[in-house]
Amino acid sequence: MDSDQQHRGGGTPLPGPGGPAIPLGAVTARDAGLRQVRRMSAWSAAALIVGTGAATAALAHSYATPAAQPAPTAPAATTGGGTAATPAGGGPAVTHSVASTSGSGVTKTVTRTVNGKTVVTQVRVPYHDN
Amino acid sequence: MAMTTHVTEVTTEVPWERIRTGDDAVAVAERPALGTSARIAVWPLEGLRPAQAAVDMVLADLDRQASRFRPDSEISRINKASGLFLLSDDLAQAIGVALAAARWTGGLVDPTVGAALIGLGYDRDFAAIDPGRSDPPAASVRAPGWRTVELAGVLLRRPAGVLLDLGATAKGLGSDRAVRASMRACGQVGGVLVSLGGDLAVAGTPPRGGWPVTVADQTAAPGAQLVRLPGGAIATSSVTCRAWQRAGQVLHHIVDPRTGRPANGRWLMASVAAATCADANAAATAAIVAGAGAEGWLGRADLPARLVGRDGRVHCVGGWPAGDGEPVPIPAGTHVYSGPVLLSGTARQRRSVR
Repeated sequence: MDSDQQHRGGGTPLPGPGGPAIPLGAVTARDAGLRQVRRMSAWSAAALIVGTGAATAALAHSYATPAAQPAPTAPAATTGGGTAATPAGGGPAVTHSVASTSGSGVTKTVTRTVNGKTVVTQVRVPYHDN
Repeated sequence: MAMTTHVTEVTTEVPWERIRTGDDAVAVAERPALGTSARIAVWPLEGLRPAQAAVDMVLADLDRQASRFRPDSEISRINKASGLFLLSDDLAQAIGVALAAARWTGGLVDPTVGAALIGLGYDRDFAAIDPGRSDPPAASVRAPGWRTVELAGVLLRRPAGVLLDLGATAKGLGSDRAVRASMRACGQVGGVLVSLGGDLAVAGTPPRGGWPVTVADQTAAPGAQLVRLPGGAIATSSVTCRAWQRAGQVLHHIVDPRTGRPANGRWLMASVAAATCADANAAATAAIVAGAGAEGWLGRADLPARLVGRDGRVHCVGGWPAGDGEPVPIPAGTHVYSGPVLLSGTARQRRSVR
């Protein structure tokens, strides 16, 4: 497209009245060459536009695909209540708990009575996921 | 042209131990980490090794960046001086998340509680604290407030006397980072759950119905409820763990920034579900500090939560399931951490403090 504009816009100026005479046959051949160049430029421009469009579409698709952007939130769909829907599945069937959530670090409190007094003992035990 | 070789040091104190849960479809492993334990559950099974390596690397990095108990950590160096600091990208993110949590919770969670925690005796790794010191704790130190700290990109201005503690958000952020790193290590195939001390995040495709997770009523007690986590994260804060005594007073690690004292509200334990573990972690801590106002705050934040009162009663809010085996609805939006994808855009702006 740019090369087309350059031809029209004077990037390659044609000889003016004061310039050297050009034989008729040469002018005809030259015009045909210019037309060919313009046609090629038009096809190049069209190919460029199509290519750019395809690349943009591919890029947009890759951003929209969950596999390419798994980070922020795993659930993809949102229900009317503003919460993400439960995925239909695809993963294996798992019935047993794989982890537990509780306060991290453990202090176990044991209360016992010694000589009539209540004694509270706190024992630190390592945190283990149940 | 000189060539620089980058060597990443990964320190694993104790190797991963394989855990048998009763299901052969997922691989589960656990190891001590960050003063607590790290657990991975992954499917397909061959993802376990790469996931372990990824989690090791994230935890080692997080420890070097944000541990208040390591004198050579980045945050320890910052806490030793005041003024303007150029942070690593990851610590800037961690502090940004902590400040965003403070803004979101109206200051119920505040990273400037460092001096208050040290005054109470939480000045070293929890395992090294003398659980029954006879001397009383120092006078309570009200948190200077998160607004005293300025963060713009990777530039941090910390006034003198303001000690940062990222305890309310760093573990959740660590779970978020670790689960994503694990998924990358597994080639985005299958699904992963990462738990750091019970603050857990999941990514990828969950098992059918969601990851089965036990929610405890009291720390060290058998789990009281089994829920399914289809995505996002769950975090729990509790006043019954990380507790110690000074002169007969039972103290714990969740400090009310408004008083500088351990939170002494209505709830023993708060479990919150959110899209990211940093959000869930911050919200669970905020619920403990908020006390009677927790249900209202969680409702306004539209977060499912399970609160255990000092009387042992369980309160489910925001759609948290009452029964066993039901899925927890995960909110779609995030407040303090949206994951690495948005860092170049909104999250970077969000973490700037004015």
